[in-house]
Amino acid sequence: MRHLFLFATLFATPLSAGVPEALDEVILPGFSDFAEATKALSVAAQADCTPEAIEAPWNAAFDAWTQIGDIRIGPSETGALSVAFWPDTRGFTPRVLGNLIEARAEVGTDPEAFAEASIAARGLFALERMIYDADFNAYAPGSYACTLVRTITAELAGQGAALDAGWDGFARVMLSAGEDGNTLYLAPEEATRALYTQLLGSLEFTADSRLGRPLGTFDRPRPTRAEAWRAGRPLRNVLLDADAAVAQARALAGFDLPQTDAALARLHAAADKIDDPSFQNVKDPAARLRVEILQQHVRALSDTIEAELGGALGLTAGFNSQDGD
Amino acid sequence: MTTRRVFIASLLAASANPAAGWAAVGGPTYLAAAKCRDGSHMLAGLREDGSVAFTVPLPARGHAAAAHPERAEAVGFARRPGSYAMVVDCRDGTVLHRLSAPQDRQFNGHGTFSPDGALLYTCEQRVEDSEGFVGIWDTAASYSRIGEFRSHGVGPHDIRVMPDHQSLVIANGGIRTDRWDRAKLNIDVMRPNLVYVDVTGALLERRDLPGFYQNSIRHLAVRGDGLVGLAMQWEGEAGYAPPLLALHRRGAPPVLCEAPLQDELAMGGYAGSVAFSGDGSEIAITSPRGGRIHRFSDGGVFLGAVSRADVCGLAPHAGGYVASDGLGGMLLLRGGTLTALARADVAWDNHLVAIRA
Repeated sequence: MRHLFLFATLFATPLSAGVPEALDEVILPGFSDFAEATKALSVAAQADCTPEAIEAPWNAAFDAWTQIGDIRIGPSETGALSVAFWPDTRGFTPRVLGNLIEARAEVGTDPEAFAEASIAARGLFALERMIYDADFNAYAPGSYACTLVRTITAELAGQGAALDAGWDGFARVMLSAGEDGNTLYLAPEEATRALYTQLLGSLEFTADSRLGRPLGTFDRPRPTRAEAWRAGRPLRNVLLDADAAVAQARALAGFDLPQTDAALARLHAAADKIDDPSFQNVKDPAARLRVEILQQHVRALSDTIEAELGGALGLTAGFNSQDGD
Repeated sequence: MTTRRVFIASLLAASANPAAGWAAVGGPTYLAAAKCRDGSHMLAGLREDGSVAFTVPLPARGHAAAAHPERAEAVGFARRPGSYAMVVDCRDGTVLHRLSAPQDRQFNGHGTFSPDGALLYTCEQRVEDSEGFVGIWDTAASYSRIGEFRSHGVGPHDIRVMPDHQSLVIANGGIRTDRWDRAKLNIDVMRPNLVYVDVTGALLERRDLPGFYQNSIRHLAVRGDGLVGLAMQWEGEAGYAPPLLALHRRGAPPVLCEAPLQDELAMGGYAGSVAFSGDGSEIAITSPRGGRIHRFSDGGVFLGAVSRADVCGLAPHAGGYVASDGLGGMLLLRGGTLTALARADVAWDNHLVAIRA
């Protein structure tokens, strides 16, 4: 860059610290696992489309997703949203699925064409409706809805493969941070910061949305706003997503994070006290309190990572993204 | 050889107009505030190639700057809602004037100069209820306050002079804030609007965004033919993904500019800056939360997204747009392609202000 200019206070920042490790140890294997899991789900659905037959592989795919699902850079910047369209604040998913089924729409029979369908009708949360929602899951083998389920799983497998391949390419962009022509990451430390920001963003999303949405307000708890509550996954997702954020933090650090490990253990201990893994009992003040405590532990984990990892790497959250105007 | 008469003439000229023009500070095209590594704040003048024309220290973080059309003077506003603004000499950072809002007024965002540089208009709100006002300051009389008029809305945040030079456009964000802590008090009933007034403050036109009352209208861009771009920030439920840009032309309803759902979701309900491209053929908004820029045609059709972490500042550039970010990057956006112009070891603050625009 010809016009590069530096100010006198330049100090040494770690060069792309931990980026190769985070990619090789956590992120790329995570996308590879998700591609495998969605492929297995699709294979199962083609053999037997009924909810009973695809419930287990769907949950396995969702488990795999939690390892990398909150990342929103590179191929995942918009690609993650058609895998996991949540929260659905405007109720798009049941509406679009209902319309497809009622119209027996051609697009629902062709995985390739389905890639152009609304993101609300695609991915894990559309399948959650088809498997667990009584308004949708009574379909018979051979019905349009059965074909639609096969289409959604096949298209999701396609997304899994595309994300896996896309991340292989995007990893090279992250690893070439600071090199000529890389306009996404103008310096090596920007790639480190990008991954660091993602894992903190995941914990923030868990606290604000995965836990904050069902908690609602004390006067008006909203249990049916919990993530994948029909499938009984809300608590499981909170824990798997937190585990994944810590795994990414460890890989990025390259050194031990004892305080982070302890904060994660406290989070799990708080989770053990929760009776209903779907948070459907948050109208009960005692049950609500336990979910609120869990939420505090998620925020505490985030603060600990900021201090222990962010502090060591000299990283701070975004200047403009954190302070609106 | 300097004659006595020329010497006196130059002396008189200097005392009558002691301020320097922009050429005297390196001919910058843009102003940008920044936070330095050591925690101090500065104001920089930047050229179109990304190079630095000047830097001067700022006594505190400024919220937004306004550039005098001729003199190398910038007005920096306190963090909103704030009680003071500073007029800074861009030669050395000297605070030439300190503007104090009247007792029951707070500065609430941006300000702009009249095209001849004689007046400064400031977005203000009444302390007790956030009712909007525009303060008028006489730049030739040490920036003394000479009047005010209503903004015809709540919580005005941005103001621009229209190309006819006879009218102003105001973004009333619609948000009532607590007088001390910026807490938002009326999110459930907020009503942002876009207002045009003449230079005496008489209301010419008022528009709102039906169906999107929680979409706070916060920043404006104006094209030479009077087309106005409005950038919004969503105050409603997270994940709602409303459009964050609208286009408006006097006398017509606003046109909402929508991107595909996954792109709107990726913006995080937040547009930080808005600018027309250098040739005016398209318009873009930034989202530091999403780390992306959305481009639209001047008819409101989505043209695409580009990614860059913590990007927020945006201004017209001969080649398209120039964008700045919290990582110190200055980038040229031409068509759908970003190229780096420069990277400084500072965090560029929210806005890039075009000088003489």
